[in-house]
Amino acid sequence: MRLHELNVREIAAGVRARKFSAVEVFDDCLDRSVACEGKVAALITTTVDVGRSQARRIDERLSKGEDPGPLAGVPVVLKDNMCTRGVRTTAGSRILGDWAPPYDATVWRLLQEAGAVLLGKANMDEFAMGNTTSTSAFGPTANPWDLTRVPGGSSGGSAAVVSAGYVPFSLGSDTGGSIRQPASYCGICGLKPTYGMVSRYGLIAYGSSLDQIGPFTRNVEDMALVMGILARQDPRDSTSTCGTRGECFSKLSDGMKGKRVALVRDFKEFTLDQGIAEAMKKTIAALESAGAEMVEVSLPTVGRYAVACYYAIAASEAHTNLARFDGVRYGYTVDSSTGLKDMFQEVRSFGFGGEVKSRIIAGTCLTEPVRSEQYYVAATRVRTLIAREFSEAFQNADCILQPVTPSLAPKIGEADEDAMKGYESDLYTLPVNMAGLPGYSFFTGHYDAGLGLPVGLQLVGPRWSDGELLNMGFALEKALGAPVIAKAGL
Amino acid sequence: MSDKELTFTPVIGIEIHIQLKTKSKIFCTCSADYTNDEPNSHICPVCMGLPGSLPVLNRAVVQQGMLAGLALNCSIVSPTLFFRKSYYYPDLPKGFQTTQSDLPIAASGWLMISDDAGSPKKVRINRLHLEEDVGKLHHSASDGRLEGAETSWVDYNRSGLPLAEIVSEPDISSAREAVEYVTALRRRVRYAGASDVDLEKGMMRFDANVSMKCSDGRWGRKVEVKNMNSFRALERAIEFEIKRQIKVMREGGEVLQETRHWNDAKEVTRASRVKEFYRKFIVEPDLPPMVVTPEWIERVKATLPEMPDQKMARYVKELGLTEVDASVLTDSRDVAEYFEACIACGANPVRAGNWIRTEILRFMGERQVGAGDVPVKPEALAELVRSVDDGNLSTTAAKTVFEAMLEGLPFAEAVKKSGAVTGGLDADALAKVVSEILAGNADVIEEIKSGKDTKGKKMKFLQGLVMRETKGQARPDEVSAAIEASLKS
Ligand SMILES: [Zn+2]
Repeated sequence: MRLHELNVREIAAGVRARKFSAVEVFDDCLDRSVACEGKVAALITTTVDVGRSQARRIDERLSKGEDPGPLAGVPVVLKDNMCTRGVRTTAGSRILGDWAPPYDATVWRLLQEAGAVLLGKANMDEFAMGNTTSTSAFGPTANPWDLTRVPGGSSGGSAAVVSAGYVPFSLGSDTGGSIRQPASYCGICGLKPTYGMVSRYGLIAYGSSLDQIGPFTRNVEDMALVMGILARQDPRDSTSTCGTRGECFSKLSDGMKGKRVALVRDFKEFTLDQGIAEAMKKTIAALESAGAEMVEVSLPTVGRYAVACYYAIAASEAHTNLARFDGVRYGYTVDSSTGLKDMFQEVRSFGFGGEVKSRIIAGTCLTEPVRSEQYYVAATRVRTLIAREFSEAFQNADCILQPVTPSLAPKIGEADEDAMKGYESDLYTLPVNMAGLPGYSFFTGHYDAGLGLPVGLQLVGPRWSDGELLNMGFALEKALGAPVIAKAGL
Repeated sequence: MSDKELTFTPVIGIEIHIQLKTKSKIFCTCSADYTNDEPNSHICPVCMGLPGSLPVLNRAVVQQGMLAGLALNCSIVSPTLFFRKSYYYPDLPKGFQTTQSDLPIAASGWLMISDDAGSPKKVRINRLHLEEDVGKLHHSASDGRLEGAETSWVDYNRSGLPLAEIVSEPDISSAREAVEYVTALRRRVRYAGASDVDLEKGMMRFDANVSMKCSDGRWGRKVEVKNMNSFRALERAIEFEIKRQIKVMREGGEVLQETRHWNDAKEVTRASRVKEFYRKFIVEPDLPPMVVTPEWIERVKATLPEMPDQKMARYVKELGLTEVDASVLTDSRDVAEYFEACIACGANPVRAGNWIRTEILRFMGERQVGAGDVPVKPEALAELVRSVDDGNLSTTAAKTVFEAMLEGLPFAEAVKKSGAVTGGLDADALAKVVSEILAGNADVIEEIKSGKDTKGKKMKFLQGLVMRETKGQARPDEVSAAIEASLKS
């Protein structure tokens, strides 16, 4: 077995026991990434020097008898919207140019303190706006299970690197499904934690009230291990309200007896691909045999209004978050001698891609003084109703089981043709962000006959039930099997 | 009706920005005091609005905002929110300004001023809201203005400084009232300790909304005059705008609703050539609703000192000071506190007040220091005043003692050093000095005895000689008694 095939726990244990060195692990993972990149194109930046010197330092500390932490020598890839000091961070956009942040995102600081080493920065939809990782200014990423298909988005690069075995874990961000959907398309585990569980400091914002950072792993135990490190209250993020709740990740148990798992009655009318419908059946059977009770809940407002309201809120916040990219202080800029307005216009016209521009324009229109009350403000009111509807549903259920998407990973280029279809497919993911809930996307197996594409489903729970969701995920993983590394065309 | 019979009433509202007094900026830990430091030396990812950075509200700013609001008779509102106010300009790092806008921490206040006829008048305050300052642009043009500049530099040291914007209702009717309003407001805010309101450091800036009501029923449109940073500029700008608008209306023209900028050098307002940016608001998602607990409000209320006008009234009523004296002593909080510390040590209020008005304020003016930096501590001044009152020290001697105290000596040592003696002279010693003085001034005695000294000047002259001879040890009343006794004998 090669080192890059090991999971987080195995690598950290091996490095700490000095069975192999952190540098050996790093080089093996690097080799794997170099071998795959030509086909998968999951990285915007490969941090060879930074990563290897971090690995070397881990080995030095071990030789002095120091403990480098629970992630000693474990290589990681970060979505390229997380700030890494001195390492360029692009958010998948031309407008940031070669910007190297002067500071680290809190999540990256925590991972470094735990001994992780950086292998690279993952490709992503520009400013996290997209479902396919095709809106990146650096070109699309391929799904390691089928190179003609998308890995999902916007954290497609982060999902692909774990699926293809570059690294045993990575971080993504989820504003409306951007962790859960690519995890499902790529056949791995992805957690969108409760809003406030993981600090957003250093995450280049899309929709600030919806964004949340979370990990991709190849098994649920690694997920709990990584979350135990990331789930900290951060004084630099006023919306970080984790407190001591991160302790829920310290121990996994698979007791499903008496757990009530809900299906959403209102969602039954939506059609699912055969593979996903089969996965639902198989998962329900697994849950029942593990002792869980299946129940039904109703989410009528979610079904009807969530998608429209989500886009109104996300675009409204996005257009203000992206206003800082004006060419004055960093990133792409032009000669300003013809005047300010020209400069702003030129920088933003060339710097932003089409998807980003359309959302900026949407956000600008939705928040215009005359329309704001009707759209932006109305959407925030509906959002409150959605949150209430969910918490009522959780009076009768411990969690909800539902698809992540109604269909399997589409072909590259296919999804971009029908934008509205893309929006509809978000029904299972967006409401979770609107209510600030945790959603765990897990691997159920390879279904679609002939294609061999993996299928994922998700568990959604009440706020702060992240640990509980992973416990259920633990039971399911025992029944359904853990993810495996994709061939990635090799 | 001829034009000349038309009368015009100005309707004026004022928006004031003050910089709240805190150690650090509103959303980060950068120092709020950058006086004389290099441009862009007090910045961090947060106040530069770098991608990924997040604001964290400084509690001290909220506290100072409440303090200022309470000093202006506002009520405190909770919970409130912050908003993003979007527009583009190079001095605005995030492309939006974070501000409380229409959901301010303090609302519905008022201030008393006197109107142009001298009667009391209430100016209502609509609200006080918190916001961040933006950066500062330096243009290479010789007049420092954007037009004609080849290069412009941005200094973000100011970006993120904590501001309070205080918006009045349109209750002001003249430039003089406007100045009285901002003066009173400044004094109260500084008293509360919410801001240093130093005009020269740009800690207080004014915008005025001026419109005209004509006796023929016409209403002029509202003109916003921006860019005033001194009382004088505010006064001149309003005067100019009133005259300009009256002229337009007299000539049958229409006052346009516009933004005008005050040009301090030319003393005119000019229609702003920069098109006003289109501003809009969304809730700031990075800051949760701001909640101030009733306990916190109470704690802030408890730190609010007695306000200057209340103090002044009390000094007149309870301490017997004249209005003029009381007004001088209450003009700044540190002087009032000095005065009160003095009388708390047992000094006579009127006399202590006199010493402070003359000697202490003179010293503060000469050295450009606050009352806290005067070497004569209130307790020492109180001792001095008491000694004079008890007749243990003459006024003349007191002056020299005071000079010694200004060098930092405590009262007792100052007395020793100045050579003054306290406690008076015994009767024999005094009689000896008096007889010596009288012997040497026979001509003066003659005049007194012949009844020519109707105003008592000659008598005072003799007393002065005795006092000088005794180096101020003698008690003035005893001296005059001794002289009179000698004259009669
Ligand atoms: Zn700062």
